[in-house]
Amino acid sequence: MTKKEEQLTITKAPSIYPAKTKTQVSIILFAVIAFYLYSMYRAQDEMVGGIGSALTNMWSVMVKFFPPNFNVVSAIMPAMAETIQMAIIATTVAAILTVPLALLSARNIATFKPIYFIFRTFLNILRTIPDLVLAVLFVGMFGIGVFPGILALIIFSLGILAKLISETIEAVDMNPLEAIRASGGNTLQVISYGLVPQVLPQFTSFVLYVFEINIRASVVLGLVGAGGIGLILDQQIGFYNYPNAMTIIIVIFVVVIAIEYISNKIREALI
Amino acid sequence: MIEFKNVGLVYPNGTEGLKNVNVKINDGEFVVIVGLSGAGKSTFIRSINRLVTPTSGELLVDSEDILEYRGGDLRKLRTKVGMIFQNYNLVKRTNVLKNVLAGRLGHTGTLRSILNLYKKEDVGLAYESLQRVNIADKLYNRADELSGGQQQRVSIARVLTQKPSYILADEPVASLDPPTSHQVMTYLKKINKEDNITTIVNLHFIDMAMEYADRIIGMRAGEVVFDGPVSEVSEKTFEEIYGRSIREDDMVGGADES
Repeated sequence: MTKKEEQLTITKAPSIYPAKTKTQVSIILFAVIAFYLYSMYRAQDEMVGGIGSALTNMWSVMVKFFPPNFNVVSAIMPAMAETIQMAIIATTVAAILTVPLALLSARNIATFKPIYFIFRTFLNILRTIPDLVLAVLFVGMFGIGVFPGILALIIFSLGILAKLISETIEAVDMNPLEAIRASGGNTLQVISYGLVPQVLPQFTSFVLYVFEINIRASVVLGLVGAGGIGLILDQQIGFYNYPNAMTIIIVIFVVVIAIEYISNKIREALI
Repeated sequence: MIEFKNVGLVYPNGTEGLKNVNVKINDGEFVVIVGLSGAGKSTFIRSINRLVTPTSGELLVDSEDILEYRGGDLRKLRTKVGMIFQNYNLVKRTNVLKNVLAGRLGHTGTLRSILNLYKKEDVGLAYESLQRVNIADKLYNRADELSGGQQQRVSIARVLTQKPSYILADEPVASLDPPTSHQVMTYLKKINKEDNITTIVNLHFIDMAMEYADRIIGMRAGEVVFDGPVSEVSEKTFEEIYGRSIREDDMVGGADES
């Protein structure tokens, strides 16, 4: 190939996006940036003393948290364990309940449209209720403690899990399922032979993921009286006992990081 | 025996899959269905195990009209009609033995099969089937570790494990190279002869149809346009079936290599 030919092709090269798209995207980009700048300006406007004073306030609050009081570590461990237990129980129950729900809300398995529609809608409704609202509701019903917390976590994680897994089921390769149906398998056999091996790795991965979310969520739920370490944290902050609160926060931080690390390792091994 | 009596099939979108099909397939025959894509070959084959349901006429398998079948009857029909697919349709993440055992599902109770409690004879049968297609050494390999030809052999073993009276093969070699295609066809032919299993194969390669078939059925636009023993078939017949002259890509070639 000669040099002349190369240059010819370069001059002919079209731009990757059409000019019209380019202008549109640029306009949108500038609009978004302008919106951010404006809201920054307005937000600062309403703050007493502006950004500078906010930073000083933050500093004076932060100072109160230090040094953390590590003497209470052994005292808060049982509450931390309780939080983990809540998450384990809730995740397990949710994982079991997810199986029928996910199957019935997957379009390719629940071929009877009304069933699919009913369960899909049910899941959507489930997911619109924030976990905090669920916890407040159940604490009101069953009193302060672990049980309402677990119940709230079950429903909260059921919504996420069933949705994620039913979508995994819908993306599955349907050919093996057809083959098993063609060799005389009934619906349950088709599901357990053709479908389960295909979704099992994702299923396990999602369950671990929801477990992580549940640990963090159960801390927040504790704040409204649903048991676990969140309850203690709320109490300590209520007593203005910031060094204790800081220790609790550090413990939560370490535990969450550790659990995330472990479950990430497991998930890597699975997929 | 399989008998199509005025069978017609109209898909929900209005496409006519089959038009007034009258065909009688005797026990032990090796029938090849030829035709261009969209001619209704798949619809024809899939009607026999009711993966699709004809909308008119009668379809007799062992003198019973299978179009009436539902639920249990349908599963019983499917246990005696084995099927081989173009894309092998194995469960990729599962090992070869378990894939082959799936052929026994129709004979195994739901609970037993879910708990993997197969009868010893069934596992033995599965192993024997794998030996018959020379792939028993891959027993514990995951299905997706095998090559296309190996996967198709596993799917033949799956069908054998079913102990069927009929085998349907829907374009079994369309995704394979010529030598492997011949190997797969040779296994199908061998099983047909040794076990006297009626075999119906969809193919679009002319030379392959000529080489393996006892009888050829030609289809075009949902209709049977030719039906006769392979000795009556010439290039002219194919030109009539395809409605155009024969081209090089209608041949798979490679018959001598395997």
